[in-house]
Amino acid sequence: MGTTRGLQGAYRLGVPDALQVPLWRAIAVFRFASMAFVVVSVIRNIRDYTHPVAAVPAVAVLVLWSAATAALYARPAWRKWPLLVADLLVTLALLLATPWVVGRAALDAGAPTLAVAWQAGPVLTWAVSGGRRRGAVAALILGAADLIVRDKLTQSSITGLMLMLLAGVAVGHVARLTVESEQRLQRAAELEAAGRERERLARGIHDSVLQVLAMVQRRGAHLDGEAGELARLAGEQEAALRALIATSVPAGELAGPDVDLRTVLDRYAAPEVSIAAPATPVLLPAQLAKEVGAAVGAALDNVARHCTAGTRAWVLLEDEPDGVIVSVRDDGPGIAEGRLAEAAGQGRLGVAQSIRGRIADLGGTVEIVSGRGQGTEVELRVPRVTP
Amino acid sequence: MTRVMVVDDHPMWREGVARDLTEAGFEVVATTGEGRQAVRIAGAALPDVVVLDLQLPDTSGVEVISGLLAAVPGVRVLMLSASGEQQSVLDAVKAGATGYLVKSASSQEFLEAVRRTAAGDAVFTPGLAGLVLGEYRRLATAPDEADDDGAPKLTDRETEVLRLVAKGLSYRQIAERLGLSHRTVQNHVQNTLGKLQLHNRVELTRYAIERGLDDA
Repeated sequence: MGTTRGLQGAYRLGVPDALQVPLWRAIAVFRFASMAFVVVSVIRNIRDYTHPVAAVPAVAVLVLWSAATAALYARPAWRKWPLLVADLLVTLALLLATPWVVGRAALDAGAPTLAVAWQAGPVLTWAVSGGRRRGAVAALILGAADLIVRDKLTQSSITGLMLMLLAGVAVGHVARLTVESEQRLQRAAELEAAGRERERLARGIHDSVLQVLAMVQRRGAHLDGEAGELARLAGEQEAALRALIATSVPAGELAGPDVDLRTVLDRYAAPEVSIAAPATPVLLPAQLAKEVGAAVGAALDNVARHCTAGTRAWVLLEDEPDGVIVSVRDDGPGIAEGRLAEAAGQGRLGVAQSIRGRIADLGGTVEIVSGRGQGTEVELRVPRVTP
Repeated sequence: MTRVMVVDDHPMWREGVARDLTEAGFEVVATTGEGRQAVRIAGAALPDVVVLDLQLPDTSGVEVISGLLAAVPGVRVLMLSASGEQQSVLDAVKAGATGYLVKSASSQEFLEAVRRTAAGDAVFTPGLAGLVLGEYRRLATAPDEADDDGAPKLTDRETEVLRLVAKGLSYRQIAERLGLSHRTVQNHVQNTLGKLQLHNRVELTRYAIERGLDDA
């Protein structure tokens, strides 16, 4: 728990790759611990070595390189190929110097190499810097060198190789996971910041611009000519802005696959288009919500195309237990009886038919009620689950 | 003469509304930009109708409406809102507001709404009808309310009328379509609000008793 909080804390400060920092630290700790192990084993076995004096500079290299890598890998800029390759080469050199320093006799008698355990260091750094594959490559190179030094296959050297390989793959996998979760955290933080900023803007816009636009529209609504036109434009912008700030965060981005149909329909709000909906979210699968939104858009387009300017429209969204009902009504001249059937008979499908098609695909039904002088009402019923 | 109080935090809007009301023959008894102040002065100003902007900086619409109703029993509240903050509109209606209008409504629509609010009518926009329909639906399906006989329900006729209001039909058009009198349509609409407000009061009382607040 404490670790998690610490990670998030570091993350908030904006340090890049913050989640990888603990991994690099763990590698440094591993190097020093394994270094101590090598030093102890050298001291225990040095009597049997062929060239015991040469073991002193070898151990010096071991200690210095442990300290150097701990310091250098701590800086993200250094976690690149030159250091990674040098790391591998230094470890290989120590390993390959073993037969001469320790001697064949002592090795055959079971004495450990000059890099025993410590040689896993580069495997881990390669894995953390580049993932599973890179970790496996380093493990295979060092494992092969270890087998060459041993000169013959023993159970323990095979086991050592397998363990290194496993470590490389496992650590590489973990490193990849941290990169991914870091990206997710980043995305979540961005969304949160965007949502907050949006709320702040919405408050500001509400307190100033919306009030003035509504005022202009109200004052000029009854005027003719240019003033009336300005008032109408102000009204349109007021409605557009109101719809923009009404929804705090785009629901689809946070709520996963379900989308609030209200936010989809709110986009159609305009001075001549009223949207009525429940106060609570009407959640639908994203694709379904999109289709319903498109059908409503088509119905409203139809109103704009076939009715005189200034015709008003009303959209009503109702949330029923088994589905949603969306009604689109206009106060235009209406469609004469039989006119729809006639149009379909002539092979002209028209917008009404395209709406029917869309909704039928969703397993829903469309009812169109119209009569001269009564406007037109399109009622869409869509079940929650598509067949 | 109908006494009107205007509560809105935007000075330009407030003055404009007050002027319109005065020109139309209403008596503007007070104007203020703060909800708490509105509650304080209402007792002295004694308005018949309060025109209330729902988004006030200092307090919520619900608090102001409750305060106003306590200070001046029987006062009618017509709320205005610039942005369609749906939940707050619904909460305000449940707290006792009887009318709702968006700020983009024309002066004529606004004055007519004040007149009707003063006369005791419920002033619905299609948007409010949609909210009220949704609220009844929510009460009918909410798990803790479903088996509770106290949850208010709409009659079929009320649902029918409310749906037509939400689809933008005027009371006259609804009356024609359903073969009812204008007055009957109005009563149906009013009843839908009344039941919701009553339920809200019952819930608040029950909550208070459960918490032992009635002793305080």
